[in-house]
Amino acid sequence: MASGFFTDTTLCIGCKACEVACKQWNELPADGYAFSGDSYDNTGELGGTTWRHVAFIESTPDAAGAPPTMNRWVMMSDVCKHCTNAGCMEACPTGAIIRNEFEDVFIQPDVCNGCGYCVPSCPFGVVDLIDRQVIQPRFASDGRSDDNALQTHGGVAGKCTLCYDRQKVGLVPACAKACPTDSIQFGDVDELKVRARKRVEDLQARGVDASLYGVDEDTSVGDLNAFFLLTGPPAAYNLPERPVLPSTRQPAGYASAALAVAGLTLLGLAIFRRGAA
Amino acid sequence: MNELRDLSPDASARGAATGGGVLAPLPETYYDRPLLKKPHWEWEVITYLFLGGIMGGSGLLVAITDEKQDPELSRNLRYFTFALAATCPLILVKHLGRPERFLHMLRIFKWRSAMSMGVWGLMAFSAPVTAGAIGQAARDGLIPRWLRWLHPRPLTDPITAVLGAFIGSYTGVLLSATALPLWGIGKRHIPTFSACSGIAGACAANSLILVLTGGSEASIKKLERFELLASLAELALLRDFKRHAGPIGDPMFAGARGAKLRRHTEIGGILLPAAFTLLPVHGRWKTAISSVLTLIGGYVLRETLIEAGKNSADDPRAASRQPE
Repeated sequence: MASGFFTDTTLCIGCKACEVACKQWNELPADGYAFSGDSYDNTGELGGTTWRHVAFIESTPDAAGAPPTMNRWVMMSDVCKHCTNAGCMEACPTGAIIRNEFEDVFIQPDVCNGCGYCVPSCPFGVVDLIDRQVIQPRFASDGRSDDNALQTHGGVAGKCTLCYDRQKVGLVPACAKACPTDSIQFGDVDELKVRARKRVEDLQARGVDASLYGVDEDTSVGDLNAFFLLTGPPAAYNLPERPVLPSTRQPAGYASAALAVAGLTLLGLAIFRRGAA
Repeated sequence: MNELRDLSPDASARGAATGGGVLAPLPETYYDRPLLKKPHWEWEVITYLFLGGIMGGSGLLVAITDEKQDPELSRNLRYFTFALAATCPLILVKHLGRPERFLHMLRIFKWRSAMSMGVWGLMAFSAPVTAGAIGQAARDGLIPRWLRWLHPRPLTDPITAVLGAFIGSYTGVLLSATALPLWGIGKRHIPTFSACSGIAGACAANSLILVLTGGSEASIKKLERFELLASLAELALLRDFKRHAGPIGDPMFAGARGAKLRRHTEIGGILLPAAFTLLPVHGRWKTAISSVLTLIGGYVLRETLIEAGKNSADDPRAASRQPE
């Protein structure tokens, strides 16, 4: 049984309770004060110590000759997608990134060596390195804390654990628990999908242009365990329109390079061994 | 008349249905903020890509050269490749912070991770290369002669060549197997021109060593000829990559960074050394200069590739529809 999130953006009121609850539960440091000017979004993006991020889109109509229009103010609580085919997990050379018993993508901080390859390998820009941050020992796979000394040298990768520790004792992840409008719903992914499809139907019947992001996807990344209901194009929410599982590019690369090197090797043999025959 | 009203999200979502008016469209990007994260890779990774390429090229040269025809070159290559194979893991350890963290890579073997494959390739490569250095040292009388039996050349040389070819190209595969648009769109080009540049760099480094040690003129000539072929292939691939990548290639080919790549790699590192090789100019100084230029060009290529890749993470439009 896979657990995940259904984040319904039409219910989000931008209260950021999810961001706060996540920081509190996971003991993540504050991001500091920075005024972005991008609506009410001073968080900016997901990161190594920011595992929920509420995006605010204030949209005004074009002035020139537009039909009667209304301003829009849309919010979305973004999170790690816990992909079916996760780019970070495929890239990880240490096996630190695993799929746990809840079928969520989890970084074992005591195994991660901070190489940073997962960071550009995430098609959604979720994972980042936590610099010299002491990771909570309760997240170490074997419960030991003495390994943490390793991680103070150069940091480790950090992202949403889907509250692995809370799930283990039957609790709902902190963000979903704190969400006052049920915009963030946690549960069995299959059940959530049924609920989400019904919600899309209802909204569409009411004339809302609603669609699901991360459900029935035909991309190499596949479906997302944390999926979204959107009312606009994904790019507006800083979600890729067409994510690609980066590791699928490898065979083409190896094959092309092998061909070129084989050709050069033959030429090299002709140059260096001409006299031998 | 435009009628502007601020509404709550839910009311705003209902607006269209209740006849409240047409909803404003959502913008094309999220305030033009980057969609992707960039790696924190600095000079350690750039240097590893550079030296790793030369190391791979040298591994290939070990098998290509004939000990009877080019005895000095063949001997140099065995020591040189060994020195690089001993240095590269140290650079990676420096990048990771401490040695234990490098060992974490050795707890798993993963086909689908180019970095895991690369680490195992590096480990595997160091075995025949170490054997080669031991065998050479035994034949050179530096260590007991019987140790040369640790180096069965017909077995180790082809393995060195195959693993060298892998080492010289896997770093390019590693880069293109990320979500960064510039690297992703170069899935065929980057591994290929990286391998060519590594081979050219290996030829240049070994020409330089021969020049400095007063080595065989004939061997230098052969190295220069091989370097010419490899670097012209590299140039052709770079040009084709620019064409193939289009605007996604701008962080690498446009502006100050593109000018530096042209100056140091395409002109200084490829065309000038090529001209030196083709023109009837002779002299050891010529070889020395053109070798150094080739090596600088190889380093700048790696530096440009890494830094431009990071920049390409900042373009949310390129990141939204990712190259297959």
